[in-house]
Amino acid sequence: MTAITIERVARSFGATRAVDDVSIAVRDGEFFTLLGPSGCGKTTLLRMVAGFCALDQGRILFGDERIDTLPPHRRNTGMVFQNYAVFPNLTVGGNVAYGLRARKVSPGETRDRVARALKLVQLDGFAERWPHQLSGGQLQRVAIARAIVIEPHVLLLDEPLSNLDAKLRIEMRGEIRRLQKLLGITVLYVTHDQEEALAISDRIAVMRAGRVEQVASPREIYDRPTTPFVASFVGTTNLLNGIILGREGDAAEVEVAGNTLRLSGVGGNAGDKVILSLRPEALRLLAPGEAAPPRCVTLTGTLGEVEYLGPVTRFSVTLADGATLSLMALMPPTASGTVTVAFDPQRVVVLGVPV
Amino acid sequence: MKAFLARNAFPLAVFAIAIAFLGLFFLWPLLKVFGASILDASGRQFTLANYTSVLSNRFFLKGLTNSLGIATAAAVCTVLVGVPFAFCLARLPIGGKAVLLALAALPLVLPSFVSAYALVLMFGRSGLVTGALRSLGIPFDSIYGATGIVVVYTLTLYPYIVLPVTAAFKSIDVSVEEAAQNLGASRARMLRTVTLPLVLPSILAGALLVFIEALENFGVPFVLAEDRPILSVEAYKLFVGETTDNPASAGVLGMLLILCTVIALLVQRGLLARRNFATGARRSAPLIDVSHALRRVGAAYCWLVVAAALVPFIAVVVISFMPFSGPVLHTGVSIGNFTHLFERSYRPLTNTLMLATLAACGATLIGVPIGYVITRHRSRLSALIDIVATSPFAVAGTVLGIGLVMAFSSGFLILTGTWLIMVLAYMVRKLPFSVRSAGAILHQIDPSLEEASINLGVPPALTFARITVPLMLGGIVGGFVLTFVTVASELSSTVVLYSGPWTTMTVAMFQALEGTSAGVAAAAATVLIICTILPVALVYRLLRRHELSML
Repeated sequence: MTAITIERVARSFGATRAVDDVSIAVRDGEFFTLLGPSGCGKTTLLRMVAGFCALDQGRILFGDERIDTLPPHRRNTGMVFQNYAVFPNLTVGGNVAYGLRARKVSPGETRDRVARALKLVQLDGFAERWPHQLSGGQLQRVAIARAIVIEPHVLLLDEPLSNLDAKLRIEMRGEIRRLQKLLGITVLYVTHDQEEALAISDRIAVMRAGRVEQVASPREIYDRPTTPFVASFVGTTNLLNGIILGREGDAAEVEVAGNTLRLSGVGGNAGDKVILSLRPEALRLLAPGEAAPPRCVTLTGTLGEVEYLGPVTRFSVTLADGATLSLMALMPPTASGTVTVAFDPQRVVVLGVPV
Repeated sequence: MKAFLARNAFPLAVFAIAIAFLGLFFLWPLLKVFGASILDASGRQFTLANYTSVLSNRFFLKGLTNSLGIATAAAVCTVLVGVPFAFCLARLPIGGKAVLLALAALPLVLPSFVSAYALVLMFGRSGLVTGALRSLGIPFDSIYGATGIVVVYTLTLYPYIVLPVTAAFKSIDVSVEEAAQNLGASRARMLRTVTLPLVLPSILAGALLVFIEALENFGVPFVLAEDRPILSVEAYKLFVGETTDNPASAGVLGMLLILCTVIALLVQRGLLARRNFATGARRSAPLIDVSHALRRVGAAYCWLVVAAALVPFIAVVVISFMPFSGPVLHTGVSIGNFTHLFERSYRPLTNTLMLATLAACGATLIGVPIGYVITRHRSRLSALIDIVATSPFAVAGTVLGIGLVMAFSSGFLILTGTWLIMVLAYMVRKLPFSVRSAGAILHQIDPSLEEASINLGVPPALTFARITVPLMLGGIVGGFVLTFVTVASELSSTVVLYSGPWTTMTVAMFQALEGTSAGVAAAAATVLIICTILPVALVYRLLRRHELSML
């Protein structure tokens, strides 16, 4: 039960800056996720906290104690590896007891704590089994039990679900979340799967090329992304280029693909370029002759490809300047040719000037 | 700097030991040999006269061409025999593959000069088969000479081709072959244009090993060459015969042997340079459905090759239990040869067992940590150590032996005549295998297992003992036994280094061959076969067959 403070941490491998001046403050008892594409530095950062990767600069603290100078075996972190790393030469019980033996816990207490930990991960009665007799999901549970039984300061999980099939992945992530809440432990979780990150986390840090792009709650990350990368990496979105024509107080007139939109809460001055993020589910294709709902603004374009996906239909609309909008609707479109797309300007996210 | 030293204490310590050991007992002796070859009789003045005198000597030139010709022929013949064998084993639906593969690997641990000697017993001037053929009126010249040597090499070295090439045939991704067929290639065309080119690197790698083995082998030409000059044998004879302090001619021959190996290595590298065919097979290529007749032919071929390679050894064992009077064989059963062999002393046998055990312990204790560090701590230094630690395999045993004698017969450390110098020679020679085999075992142990242990609070050194060593143990024991058996049948450096009290089984057999006690030689051969087969059979489950070709 410890807060993690990561201060101005950096590490280069050759010419690549794997982690580039990152600062993150994880709160006590928080489920904190590092999310990003492969190679963004999220695993390197996690391994820095565990002690398997040295820092070029910066420091890491658990609570008030600086730990980046400690060797990995003295940091008291519980780590769950991507490939589980269950010792094949020990039984399930032996695996879970391994860290307790290293801490010289008495045999009686070890037995009790191992039994409790196995029960927590729903593996009671498995202590005598050997790892090769277990399924992937069961190995995963052993790895988790082994990590939590030592009562670590923080629990570190490195893409723990990526080797499981889709159904088990959803089941296990619920279970990990349940355990975390039950134990009240601080979790640092690494994944490249944005849906997983949204479902499980208290807060998410989206990383790209060694840097943190945004730290926020899942809702905020999805609804109020602050960079085009976050907007497009988390979920799907339409990114449109626009120019501010003029402003009236809080509201601004923005020109997008030959249409002029009145949007509120937009910074910047007349002539500034902006990027608009429009989620596919926020857009509505109007039926022929249908009027736009109140408060909605509209764009016109040409209907393109229609993909029927079962529960939803996905289709695209090409705007006058050639930009393509992706839309999602419950029903296939009835209109064709030139169509009108309506959306609530409240759901538009205006991102900064493209760099 | 201090933090760097603390974090890397273990690899640095291992590297220090590796450099000290290899520098002292491998590089320093080789430097001595090189020095002898470029210094005049006084040992002080630089000269190329030794080279010109050896290279203008018809006898030695003949030796050079003989050695190169025989080694090349051996490489070609083993490829011709081994590649079809590997193909049948990997891709045809024939029965008994596990047994076939085990029998095919067997010659690697058996002493090859025993096979040569068996051929003499059967096809020599007074051989069993020669006599039988002559009595039938079929003229048969004896087996001696280049042909016989190449035959023995083919029968004993073909596993160097079979093992890697079988693995290569199996690792071809099925989709590559399917793509070839989908694009309109017939099955024969596909084999020629896709499958064979993909296994070519493995074939070349195996052929190089055969070439080096054939070049450095001492026992086989000693038995079969008679008076034809062969480099490795002549270097030995010159060295034993030379009385000056500066064995110049032996040094030159030694350097020539090393040079040939280096050239072969470079040629192989050149051929492989642009052929990195890691296909990363998702699903290995399936067995090829062939007609019943073709399947039979394939199976018959494999069993025939295996039988031809093993019959000489079986023949020696049988013959060793038959009575001899001098060189003449009689029918009947007798253990006379064995009583004759051991009548003076059991020392050769106990020496062999002791020296092989010590050498295997030494090679394992030094080689496994080196292999571990090279695999787990990648750096430029570890790449360099890797090259130095695996290069002894390219140096002929005779040459290493000569170098060790030159380096340690005087000066600060005198070892000649002791058992220690023999053990050191064996350790150096088997180090490449220990290092590579430890590396191969480690490749199958995920580093995250060690990290998990450290993460749970166990310090690195203790983690190595509690997690890494137990997981490596099977492979280490297998490697230990293979080192033991190959040392037990080592002859080329032994024959240079042994002294009276430290006569080994191989030397006893070698001496019996020099004399005329054919029966004693056969008995010694049988004892050697038992010394090698028995340990291998005991730990066969632990052996990793694909690694045997690294011996």
